Amino acid sequence: MTPGSVAAPRLRATGLLSGWGQGLGALPEDAGAAAAGRAVVSAGRPTLAGDRFRRATRECLLGVVAVEDALKEAGFPRALLAGNGTALLYATASAYGASNRAFIEGAGATTLHFPYTAPSAVPAEVAIEFGITGPYVIFLGGAPATLSALWYAATLLASSACDRALVLAVETFDECADLYARGRWLVGRPLVEAAACALLEPGAGALSYSEGRSRRPARTAAGGVQRRLGEAFACTPLVELGMARAAGAASLDLRLTGVWRGSEAVLHWVEM
Amino acid sequence: MAEADRIAIVTAGVVTPIGQDLDAFWSALVTGASGISRIERFPVDDLRVPRAGEIKKLVRERPEEVSTDCRASRLLIAAADELVAHVGGRPLAADPRRVAVVLGTALGGVEEGERALRGERRPSRLAGAFYDSPARALGQWLGAEGPVLTISTACASGATALGLAADLLRNGAADVAVAGGYDILCRFVMKGFDVLRSLTRDEVRPFDRRRSGLLLGEAAGLVLMERERDAAERGGKCLGYLLGHASASDGSHIAAPDPNGRGLEVSIRGAMSQAGISPEEIEFVSAHGTGTPLNDKIETAVLKRVLGRRAYAVPVNSMKAHTGHTMGAAATLEAIMCLLAWRHGQIPHTLNLEQPDPDCDLDFVSTGPRPCRPRISLSTSLGFGGCNAALVLEGA
Repeated sequence: MTPGSVAAPRLRATGLLSGWGQGLGALPEDAGAAAAGRAVVSAGRPTLAGDRFRRATRECLLGVVAVEDALKEAGFPRALLAGNGTALLYATASAYGASNRAFIEGAGATTLHFPYTAPSAVPAEVAIEFGITGPYVIFLGGAPATLSALWYAATLLASSACDRALVLAVETFDECADLYARGRWLVGRPLVEAAACALLEPGAGALSYSEGRSRRPARTAAGGVQRRLGEAFACTPLVELGMARAAGAASLDLRLTGVWRGSEAVLHWVEM
Repeated sequence: MAEADRIAIVTAGVVTPIGQDLDAFWSALVTGASGISRIERFPVDDLRVPRAGEIKKLVRERPEEVSTDCRASRLLIAAADELVAHVGGRPLAADPRRVAVVLGTALGGVEEGERALRGERRPSRLAGAFYDSPARALGQWLGAEGPVLTISTACASGATALGLAADLLRNGAADVAVAGGYDILCRFVMKGFDVLRSLTRDEVRPFDRRRSGLLLGEAAGLVLMERERDAAERGGKCLGYLLGHASASDGSHIAAPDPNGRGLEVSIRGAMSQAGISPEEIEFVSAHGTGTPLNDKIETAVLKRVLGRRAYAVPVNSMKAHTGHTMGAAATLEAIMCLLAWRHGQIPHTLNLEQPDPDCDLDFVSTGPRPCRPRISLSTSLGFGGCNAALVLEGA
C-alpha cells in the first residue's frame, strides 16, 4: 500500500456517548468484564428537547449528543457550526439496521418512518440541528470507513473547501442483537453502542492514509481501545483519537488502524 | 487546476432497464425508449404503484464467475464485465494494491436483510445485509486490493462516489479507481416510496406542468478513472474528464429538499470552482429532474441563480423518465450520458415532457434528441437527508 498524504488537521475536540456513559471517563478498564455477559451494551435513547426529535430514531439522537459533547469540550459555540464552512463526514457500519428491520417487519411502515431507514438520516438530523450546509459525505463500513472520513476531512480542510470538519460515527446494535448473535463470527464482544465525534480544524502536520486487503478478522483492530470500549465498529478510531488527546500530548503522533471485512485502513497522523 | 491533477474517465459499463451496455443504453436514450414496466420479480399487488424500471433479465450475467446470488452484487458485476471488456479484460492492467473501488448506493444489500428476516438462515444473508457488501463483492471480482469504499448520500451517491474516487487518485491513495453507483428494486424500497406517495400513477414527466411524481428503477453504472497523465502514458482513448465535484448538505429536512435549494447551489458552485469553469463555459446540464413537483421547480430556480443570464441558453435534460429513478446509480449514469452526448454529438431528450411548466422555463430538451456537442457539462443530484452533489465533466 502506498499512502496518500495531505496536511494533517488539528484535533480541536472529541465527543463521546457510549453504552458506558458520556465521555471517555465513563469507559471501563476492561469492557469484557464490565459487560458481565451482556452481548450488547446499549446506549439507550437520549432525551433531547424539541418537538422535531419526537419522531427521530435514537441513532439520530445519539449523533446529536456526540456533537454537543465535542462542542462542550472545545468550548466551541454551536452557532459557529452553522453554514457552508463546516463539513460533515459521517461513518457507520450498523446504525441503519434497527430502522431497516422495523420497516421490513412492518413495525415502522409509515410515511414518517421510511426516510429514517436511510443511513443519511443520522447526519441529516445533525445537519438540521446545527444548521450545517457544507461538504457532506457518508461512508459505510467499520473502522476503515471512519479512517476514510478522517482522511477526507483532511483533504477538504487542506483545500480550503471548509473551515472546520466534524467527523461523526454512530453504531447501534440493541434492536438487532439476535441477528448479531446469529452472525457472531463477524463481530467482537461485547458490542457497545456509541456515538463519537471529532471536531477538526486546519493544521500544519502530515496525515497519510492507505487502505488495502487484510487477512485479519473482520472486526476492528484497535488494541487497547477495544479492550476498554468493546466492539464499536466505526466509532473506535474516534475514541482512540480522543484517548490519545486525553493522554496529554501537546501534538498527536498517532497511527490508527481499522479492520473490517477484509479491508485494513491505516492513518498516520502527525500534528504540528 | 493543474494539468497533472486532471482525472480521466477512461471507460464505463452500465446495466440499466433500457440497455445493458453503453451502445444499447445510448440508443435507448436517443430513441426515447422507456424501461418502465410492471414489476415481476417480487409481489407488488399491495402497492399503489406496481411499476418501475425493472431489469427483466441480466444479459451479461456470468454465474460461473459469481459466487453470490445477491442481486445488487450481480448488477454491479455485470456492469463491471462491460467496463473491463473495454480495457482488455480482467485483471486490470494495474498493481491490484493500487486499484480502488468507490461505490455509491442508497440501499446497499438491504434485500439480503429482507431475505434474512424472512427466515433464510444462511449466514451469508446476514453479512450481505450490510450496505457495503456489494462493493466488497465487486472488489473481489475485480481483484482490487486497494481502498474499497461505500458512500451513501442517498440518491446523490453516484456523484459523490465519483468525486471521492477522483480525490483518492489526486491524493495518491490509488492509481486506478472503479467508481460509480448502483441500486436494485426490492420490496423494501418500493414499499417505502409507496407509503410516501412519491410514486406517480402517470408517466414520469420531468419539468412538465402535469408532473406528479417519480418512478423507481434499478441499475448499475461504473466508470474507470485514472490520473490523466497515467491514462496518457497508456496511450488509450478516454471518454472524458471529471473536472470538478462538490457535495453539500441542506440542513433543512429529513426527506424533502430545501425549498431554496441551498445545498444544491453550494454543490454546483463548489464543483464549478474546483473545475475552474465559469457559467459561460457550461454547455449542457444533466438535471436530477425526478418529475416531482418540488424537485424540478427547485432545480430550475437554482440553475437560474448559478448560471445567471446563461441559464436560458444552456440545454437541460433529465433521463429519469427513460430508466426510472435509479437512486444510487442515477448520477453515475447521468455523468456517462454527458460524456456520450459529447462523443455522439446529440443530447437525449427529456421523455414525456410535453407541456412545459411556466415555473420550469429553461431550455429543456424535449420532443427529440438535439444535435449538439456539449464539451463541458454539469450534472446535478439530490437525495434524502439533504444530500446534494454536482459534477463538472468534459468530453474527450
